[in-house]
Amino acid sequence: MKIAVCVKHAVDESELKIDPSGKPLLEGAASKMGTFDKNAVEEALRVKASAGGEVVAVTVGRADARKSLKEALAMGADRGVHVLAELGALDPPKTAGLLAAALAKTGPYDIVLCSEGSSDTYTGLVPPMVAERLGVPYVGYARKLELAGRALKAERSLEESLESVESPLPAVVSVVSEINEPRYPTLIQIMQASKKPVEELRPEQLAAGDAAPPTAVLSMAAQPQNRKHVMIEGTPDEAASKLLDALVKEGVLQP
Amino acid sequence: MSKGFWCYSESGAIAAELASAASSLAGAVPGDAVILDLDGSGALGAAKRLVLKASYPAGASPEAVAESIFRAAKQLSPAAILVGATRNGREVAARLAVKMKAGLLAEASALALDGGRLVAERSAYAGKVTARVSSPLPCVCTVKAGSFPKGSARPAETQELDVGDVPSKVKTLSSAKKEVGTVDLKAAKVIVSAGRGVKRKEDLPMLAELAKDMKGALGCSRPLSSDLGWLPEEHHIGLTGVNVKPELYLALGISGQLQHVAGMKDSRVVAAVNTDKDAPIFQAADYGIVGDLYQLVPALRKALAARR
Repeated sequence: MKIAVCVKHAVDESELKIDPSGKPLLEGAASKMGTFDKNAVEEALRVKASAGGEVVAVTVGRADARKSLKEALAMGADRGVHVLAELGALDPPKTAGLLAAALAKTGPYDIVLCSEGSSDTYTGLVPPMVAERLGVPYVGYARKLELAGRALKAERSLEESLESVESPLPAVVSVVSEINEPRYPTLIQIMQASKKPVEELRPEQLAAGDAAPPTAVLSMAAQPQNRKHVMIEGTPDEAASKLLDALVKEGVLQP
Repeated sequence: MSKGFWCYSESGAIAAELASAASSLAGAVPGDAVILDLDGSGALGAAKRLVLKASYPAGASPEAVAESIFRAAKQLSPAAILVGATRNGREVAARLAVKMKAGLLAEASALALDGGRLVAERSAYAGKVTARVSSPLPCVCTVKAGSFPKGSARPAETQELDVGDVPSKVKTLSSAKKEVGTVDLKAAKVIVSAGRGVKRKEDLPMLAELAKDMKGALGCSRPLSSDLGWLPEEHHIGLTGVNVKPELYLALGISGQLQHVAGMKDSRVVAAVNTDKDAPIFQAADYGIVGDLYQLVPALRKALAARR
């Protein structure tokens, strides 16, 4: 079984600074592996544990995206593929084009695992775009996954229903974070991760297919925080009473 | 010249929202808002309805829906296709954009046209930032539910188009309604929300009682539903859970990670109780109490009872 798992070196949204004019400072912002991507890596390792084979972690991004790849390798992926590319913010088609081309070049893979979305932009479009570009089925938002020969069975978590589906392989699967508890790598695994092979690819080496028209980012501005920030003090009884008074005055609680 | 703004969602309510968004755009260029009807449900909300006649031997999966719409788009060249940003809708939009070699915008909460481009406003970085992005027409755009009023127009004109047999590789074996809590969080005017400050599952009824006293519903942050499994996933408020905008949001023992705040930041008034004075939830709150929810919840219930 050849298993790929896609990871994104995502902006650490909790560390993202805003300059005095209200612009987010994305250049040089702290980054980390997308929070939900760890569930995808964990699931890839579980598939390998049950079906055998190899797990390849794939990322698209600048040089520093290597850190997220290393994290996946420390968790247990066997090797990495790094497409070195400058990605504009909020341009899923470009990411998906490069990712699909890298998967085609280094594959074929039986199963490609992704998270439901990146923790920074949470758009959720890259996994199905990759599936469309590779011409394979997509099973989105899986909360249970099981392989049976050349097919997979999954339970998909939709807004209001749970859906059991069956799909032939190869397929792209995205997982929700309830599916598993990601493992923490040990210190030894972290050290060994640097010795695992990583193949570096450049966009010009990849046939990324017909490029979609690029998305233009016109502006980015911090969302206004118009909260009152009133701190209420006193004993629990006093504080509770003062809070209820304030809420009644706001008109959000019936007196 | 490309024509019309098409709207598709498997949810009739979201489709009606898309229709009102499209109708407001349609005023800006020649063309009309067109609501797509793939299941004969008689979709409402726009001046025109396009019924796609297809047969789905393996079921109307998102993959098949995308192919149906693509076949229709090849013939009729819409200017843009708006798709509800649901879990299935995202697959439809993503596949469509690749098939059409069109631009793709995502999670739009506001839309405008500017010189042949569609401009969308969206939230990013867990709600810290509002971005305006644009793509040339034709393009596909996913639209966040709850962003537009529901269109109520009865289509004056219905067109039918036969798109033939549409295959699908993914087969749905069964589908079951999710277990839903007793109250609908999206409709609740007051939400009392529980976080990691709740020490044991057995303590949740105390918070549920407070919610009941306040005529509200009980929500929670991600750890309580996803990691601990103390409440069904449908109670989870946040980026990957339910997005709510009640009149009052009372956060109890919630630290206020951005992923949580992204799901409740549009609440009208936010109050928070947390033992840690530096908890980020206080940055997202109108009223804050540094204290222990195990003392504040009984105190709030007592004070509420005294007022009745």
